[in-house]
Amino acid sequence: MFKRLFKHSTKTGLMRFKEDGPLDSWFLILVMALLTIGTIMMFSASYVYASYYRNDSFWFLKRQMIFVIGGIALMLLVSKVKLDFYKKYALVIMGVAVALLIIVLFYHTNVEGSNESFKRWIRVPLIGITFQPSDFAKIGLIIFLAFIIDNNRKRIETDWKYMFFFLAIIGAVCFLVILENHLSGTILLAGIGIAMTYLGGVKKGWYVVFISVIVIVAIVAISNMEYLPGYIQERLKSWLDEEYDPSGSRWQTNQSLYAIGSGGLFGTGLGGSKQKHLYLPEPQNDFIFAIVCEELGYIRTVGIIILFALLIWRGFVIGMRSKNRFSSLVVMGIMFHIGLQTSLNIGVVTGMLPNTGISLPFFSYGGTALTMLLIEMGIVLSASRGIKREI
Amino acid sequence: MASSSIKESTKRAMTLLLILLILGFGSCIIYLGYVQLIKGDTYRAKAESSQLYDSEISAERGVIYDRNMKELAKSASAWKVVIYPNKLKDEAVREQIVDSLSKVIVEKDDQGQYTKEDLEDTKESVREKASMTSYGYLVVKNKIEKELRDEIIKLMETKISVKSEMVSLSNYIGVESDVKRYYPYGTFASTVIGFTGTEDVGRAGLELRYNSDLTGTNGRIITAVNGGANNDKMPVEFETVYDAQQGISLVTTLDETIQRYLEESLSQALLDHSAKSAYGIVMDVNTGAILAMSSQPDYDSNNPYRITDTKTIEVPEEITDKEELIEKKVEAQYSQWRNRTISDTYEPGSVSKIITAAAALEENIWPENDTFNCIGHIEVEDRIIRCSHTEGHGAQTFKQAFANSCNPFFIRIGLNMGQEVFFKYFEAFGLTESTGIDLPAEASPVKDVTYHSLENMSVVNLASSSFGQTFQVSPIQMLTAVSAIANGGNLMKPYIVSKMLNQDGEVIKQNNPVVKRQVVSKSTCDKIIEMMEEVVNSGTGANGYVAGYRVAGKTGTSEKIGANNGKYVASFVCFAPADDPQVAILIAVDEPEGQYYGSQVAAPVAAIVMQKIMTYLNVEPQFNEDEEIFTEVNATNVIGKEVSSAKALLKDEGFNVRVIGNGENVIEQVPSANQTISKNGTVILYTEKSAEKEKTIVPSLIGYGVSEIYSVASYYGINVKIVGNGYDTTGFVSYKQSVESGTEVAYGSTVTVYFKSNLTAVD
Repeated sequence: MFKRLFKHSTKTGLMRFKEDGPLDSWFLILVMALLTIGTIMMFSASYVYASYYRNDSFWFLKRQMIFVIGGIALMLLVSKVKLDFYKKYALVIMGVAVALLIIVLFYHTNVEGSNESFKRWIRVPLIGITFQPSDFAKIGLIIFLAFIIDNNRKRIETDWKYMFFFLAIIGAVCFLVILENHLSGTILLAGIGIAMTYLGGVKKGWYVVFISVIVIVAIVAISNMEYLPGYIQERLKSWLDEEYDPSGSRWQTNQSLYAIGSGGLFGTGLGGSKQKHLYLPEPQNDFIFAIVCEELGYIRTVGIIILFALLIWRGFVIGMRSKNRFSSLVVMGIMFHIGLQTSLNIGVVTGMLPNTGISLPFFSYGGTALTMLLIEMGIVLSASRGIKREI
Repeated sequence: MASSSIKESTKRAMTLLLILLILGFGSCIIYLGYVQLIKGDTYRAKAESSQLYDSEISAERGVIYDRNMKELAKSASAWKVVIYPNKLKDEAVREQIVDSLSKVIVEKDDQGQYTKEDLEDTKESVREKASMTSYGYLVVKNKIEKELRDEIIKLMETKISVKSEMVSLSNYIGVESDVKRYYPYGTFASTVIGFTGTEDVGRAGLELRYNSDLTGTNGRIITAVNGGANNDKMPVEFETVYDAQQGISLVTTLDETIQRYLEESLSQALLDHSAKSAYGIVMDVNTGAILAMSSQPDYDSNNPYRITDTKTIEVPEEITDKEELIEKKVEAQYSQWRNRTISDTYEPGSVSKIITAAAALEENIWPENDTFNCIGHIEVEDRIIRCSHTEGHGAQTFKQAFANSCNPFFIRIGLNMGQEVFFKYFEAFGLTESTGIDLPAEASPVKDVTYHSLENMSVVNLASSSFGQTFQVSPIQMLTAVSAIANGGNLMKPYIVSKMLNQDGEVIKQNNPVVKRQVVSKSTCDKIIEMMEEVVNSGTGANGYVAGYRVAGKTGTSEKIGANNGKYVASFVCFAPADDPQVAILIAVDEPEGQYYGSQVAAPVAAIVMQKIMTYLNVEPQFNEDEEIFTEVNATNVIGKEVSSAKALLKDEGFNVRVIGNGENVIEQVPSANQTISKNGTVILYTEKSAEKEKTIVPSLIGYGVSEIYSVASYYGINVKIVGNGYDTTGFVSYKQSVESGTEVAYGSTVTVYFKSNLTAVD
């Protein structure tokens, strides 16, 4: 019956991209759980800062809520869109992504609190919303690479030259983002791109090369810091040396560690963070996880990490069950993106990794980033409908 | 092929998933555990060091009570002014704060009469603290009174312009609670009680000795502040309060009334004799408890740094050098803080003959009834030691020699008993050791410096020691030794704190009397007491006489070390009642001008104090025949009676009667029936209601004998009370009156007249 309906709809314009299968409720529950916890924690982390600097404790919550509600609606809507749609328009999507990355280099706005040299944000005329083209580039790259891989499946597995082609695409996108002075975005894009090629079946020997190159580059970079851009130098120094510039570039990391340490095993209780009282700068943003650790303690925080892990696992299960190779690649690409971003964020907040501006999915404040995230979740949900339908 | 490629892609997906979960999430969980659990405490401590600040709740210091639970020292609420230097980084703002705050402080401090220098000094000290901008909180002034606090709060409400914004001063300064030590009686027993310095730490006296007990445990308020530029307070739920615990309170053996008697008399003596100092102790002979202890001039414990002695205040005027001036001032401060009754030593002179006599009687060195012939001097080895009575006392018994304070006699018995016996008693009476009284800075005797040790005591040393010279003791040592005679031979350990009370007033420690040792037998004591009574009744101590009470005493006069400078210490030791001794008194006047014998200078003071104490302690007076005139009685109440019958009734009782007014009945009688007056006193009967009492003028009552005084008094319509030996007409004359002549007083008022003898001066 579904098949018939589907077949019927394919005949009528855009309706051929409508997906009707039942969605994966486990995945939806995990998304909603993380979104709920994340929003509550965003409020808890932000209200002191908001009341102090904006004279309104709910300033961030109100704005975030608009995107939470809008984002959920958008996610459900996207979950109804067949992945074939993206497959069909993969080149267009990639084109738009690259175009935006170029535009932002010339037409960027400064978001409050960010560095002058950063060219990461575009303000949409008329609406006035700011967003990062690199967020869009991630999903663009995932779709585009999935499209290429799907179309050239055999050749990729056998012809080692294909890898140069992929590297060229990934490299070009990363280059544009590097020009924004956006290191974290570059790392994420590179990570996502390479993971996609791996899923695409590129010979394993390449990854030995990649890992060697990354290790060598990291060692060379750290030992020859003077050749790196100033802001990267600062971050590396303050990462390696706990005593380095405590009131400057190390401040945020230190305050983050103090917050985590203050939380201990059981935490200070919801709302009980002291570090959010203007010690940790912008606690609602990239370092929100530190406040989560302080208020909820190690046990509950590990619970949250496990929720993330379950989400990734469930996403991969959806990806692996997809009979459609394109869907499978897109879903796994998205889930890898979420997983990579989450673990990099936690790595930064705990001081395990150098400080880069990576936000925590579902938790950090930021409307357009959240919207993009929920769109990605919508795509995964759509793929899950496809599996159920096919079965 | 297809299935194998699916397998391959699934394998790759699984690999990627595992890498992500294990490498990414796994390492996050482990590293987070390291940061949060293993290094957590270090980080928390670091966080707290910036988040939290402590402010102290000062614990209230314990109270010091007299034995009747009158508060001699207590702590009361006060405040302290604080500033927040880390908010005063802007120099212009800081200077503004320094200026306005200093002005308010100086103005209240000096009641509006401050000099430019005072203001500059204050500013300097405030500025110094305000400039320490790395501190979040510093105290500018401790222990301020409510008035200044109110002024500061007013100041806090004012606003100044900072970067074109109006900012309230409460952002920069604050007032917090503090405690302050109060001494309700001011100079009262100040050398005993002591005082506290900054931070409420005892600096002298009991405050110092019992500082750790008196000090409570301070409480804390831990407040959290945010990380903003102003470090504002976080909400109250982040505040932790630990209550302060009050210190232990002391109940002393001091008696406020007795102490007052002693101090009044000592400061009078200080004035009368222009002496350097005058000091005295009143001891309960049976327990060693100190009932009163004073050293004049003393100071106000509330303001210990202010110099009270008029003599020392005058000196600095001549000195211009600033450093010397400060030195003088410090010297004067230390001098007035000194409790001379325990810290000073003096040659006891004849007073110590009590010890020599007790040793002689106990060891049967000189049979009581054997006579000794004093020829005015005695030869000891190569030298001749003169008697104070140069022509010699002639033949005298032990008792007579004691009453005469005959030096050759005491040298004789000293030489007869020898060094070993002498030293045995010298040591037994505690003259070679500190008494161990619970006060700081007691003088400790030093062998061969303050006294002759047995090994090094030559015959000449023995001779001079026998009559109280060439060794030094502290007043408390001397009085403790004499008390041993008074109580039947027990050397007590003197003490001043009897009980310690906790916050709830429960006794947590009780100090009981400590008998150090039995020194001599009861019978020896009785004999000495008899002799000492004789000293007062007919000997050198006649000025120690107290009508109605049997007083045993001994005078002493000694030239101060660095002899022949005309500087003396006049002293008198006595106890009463002789048949059942209760209280012993030691009075010493240091460097009196003019008269300097103990009998002239110290004994009359002791007599006045003793009389008051005996009355206060309700010891029933027993008058002998001679003293009958001193008996104080109550006149019958005649109010309402017809004038003539009232008059007759009172005349019958022996009173003089004076009627004022023309009424028929007595409306009022002065003194009233419940006041005692002397047996031959005057009673005034008022018969009319007149708005004012009629006045009479107090005549001069100095330089007369008793009977003259009674008749003069009756003529002027006043009553007199006699203190001192008034019945002995040989040499005793009145020397002082309680109300000055020429003063207008109501008819029937009582004036106290003091008698003393100047004949029996030499001891």
